[in-house]
Amino acid sequence: MSSGKYFLDLSDLQYKRVRLPWKNKLIRIILGSLVSVAVTILYTVVINDIFGSPKESTLSQEIESLKLKYSLMGREIDNSMKVLNDLEQSDVNRYRPILDMDSIPLSIRNMGTGGIIRYEELEGYDNSGLMLSFRLKVEDIRNRTTVQYESFKAIEEKKNEWKREMEYLPMISPVNVIYRLGDGMKFRDKHPVLGTPQWHHGQDFSCPYGTDVYATGSGKVIEAGWNGGFGNCVVVDHGYGYRSTYGHLSKISVNVGLNIKRGDMIGLSGSTGTSSGPHLHYQIDLYGQYKNPLYYFNNDLSEDEYFEMIQTLTARSKFR
Amino acid sequence: MPNTKYKFNPDSLSFDKIRLGVKAILLRSLAYLIGSIIIAAILNFMFGLFFDSPREKALKREIEQLTLQYDLVHREMGNLEKVIDHLQETDDNLYRTIFGAEPIQATQRQSGIGGVNRYEELEGLNNSKLVIETAKELDIIRKKVYVQSKSFDELILLAREKEDMLRSIPAIIPISTKDLTRIASGFGLRIHPVYKISKFHAGMDFTAPLGTEVYASGDGTIESVLSSKRGMGNYIVINHGFGYSSIYAHLESFNVKEGRKVRRGDIIGYVGNTGMSIAPHLHYEIRLNGANVDPVNYFFNDLSPAEYEKMIEIASKTGQSFD
Repeated sequence: MSSGKYFLDLSDLQYKRVRLPWKNKLIRIILGSLVSVAVTILYTVVINDIFGSPKESTLSQEIESLKLKYSLMGREIDNSMKVLNDLEQSDVNRYRPILDMDSIPLSIRNMGTGGIIRYEELEGYDNSGLMLSFRLKVEDIRNRTTVQYESFKAIEEKKNEWKREMEYLPMISPVNVIYRLGDGMKFRDKHPVLGTPQWHHGQDFSCPYGTDVYATGSGKVIEAGWNGGFGNCVVVDHGYGYRSTYGHLSKISVNVGLNIKRGDMIGLSGSTGTSSGPHLHYQIDLYGQYKNPLYYFNNDLSEDEYFEMIQTLTARSKFR
Repeated sequence: MPNTKYKFNPDSLSFDKIRLGVKAILLRSLAYLIGSIIIAAILNFMFGLFFDSPREKALKREIEQLTLQYDLVHREMGNLEKVIDHLQETDDNLYRTIFGAEPIQATQRQSGIGGVNRYEELEGLNNSKLVIETAKELDIIRKKVYVQSKSFDELILLAREKEDMLRSIPAIIPISTKDLTRIASGFGLRIHPVYKISKFHAGMDFTAPLGTEVYASGDGTIESVLSSKRGMGNYIVINHGFGYSSIYAHLESFNVKEGRKVRRGDIIGYVGNTGMSIAPHLHYEIRLNGANVDPVNYFFNDLSPAEYEKMIEIASKTGQSFD
């Protein structure tokens, strides 16, 4: 009872307990609530708008950290672009010229970088520009990567073909370079044995009886045996239309059908067939047309170098 | 109803008047206000848990899109980087098999982060911004000094040598080559592509598409224009005087005749694949008093010091030659 409040009723001079009617109580509660609501609104408007709500600042921070992530990725992207540039330079300046391939036209290289594609879903954001630039960069990298991938594939194929061709075409001297060159490809007024005028379709090498004769390019032996005027003769098919013929041999060390490598010994020189003395007759034809063998090797090696070359070339050969 | 209120005092068994001081009233209103503010804050917080303000909504939308795009681009870049790494391997392989040498790249290759920020190790230090700026400035100054010293060298050279001689010495790369990617083989012992043995290569090889213009590397007279199906194929010899001559081999065709005077940079012919050559390229030799010298030492006219260093590095690698 001690906390109760009393008032003095002047009509009968009695202290009576203060009892508020429910109406008054309600009014008081409503008034109080209204003040609270007013304070709440004030708080929300003033504090939030000036200083930002805690949630907002968290969100803004999140955006900042996202932007940081973007800039880190931006570096990554720039680096990838540099690497791609490098690869493209290699492609254009190194491989294609060497392999005699046409350059990829710029219109294909730059396909899709014209900005035709629109990213509507990226419009209307504070960072629309940022997101758009990343999308476009990636788009660009993707296109260029695709082009480069295809290009390298083509180069790789061409390179293998080129390497193979280099191995198969006749490109060295069939005997050691110390031996003097005899008659070349020319019209001879008088054949040394037959005495009649006729064409000499190959190159002679004046080497003594029993000199090692090597295949001048890789290929398949298509003839190994007696062949009229050529005596003991070996013919190698190098592919690409090329065949080389080695005539007047004293000994043949390969069989028909054998796949041989450049530098493999195919026999020993001699003087069989229509020959006036020991020498090697070497002949090259392309699709049946005689070619000057002189154009198919260089006399730029020493005796030792030639020997070293044969050893190197046949080091991994199964045959020999 | 009168305003005066009483309180029953059990000690004196009487009713005492309740008197509120100004202080008490103030305290009460303050308590009320603080209570309101706390409730407001709580309400605000609760409200925020379930509803967003328009600004928050916009921010959330922004974050969502940023994250979405980031993930998209990141994933894509991850895939692309793998492909690019693969392409690099292919490139290295192609280089190895075609040039027979370990590849040197124009820029440091490393996809992903790193190798980009030169000043990364300085970041995170106190005053790192200042330190980085200083380091950058130092770098710039260093470069300037380098360039300056180079131009001093030129001055000294100019002073020492006659202007004539400077014009005549074969001092430029005979072919246009951006970023030096056209250098295929240097001077010295190289693996011969056909013979597969180490052979002395008396000049430098430059790869270029058939028909690429070949320039005279210094003023001089065309000493000879020769055509052969062997050796150097179609080739030109320029006599520069002062004991110097230069040779341009395996040309597809010529643009000059014997005896003509040419100036540095004149087009003398076009890159080809003639003679003993396994691919389209230019074979370039410099002779001083009849003896072959390393052309790499003569490209001082059109290269920056850095490029020059790079060129020497590329040319010195033991690769294979193309003839």
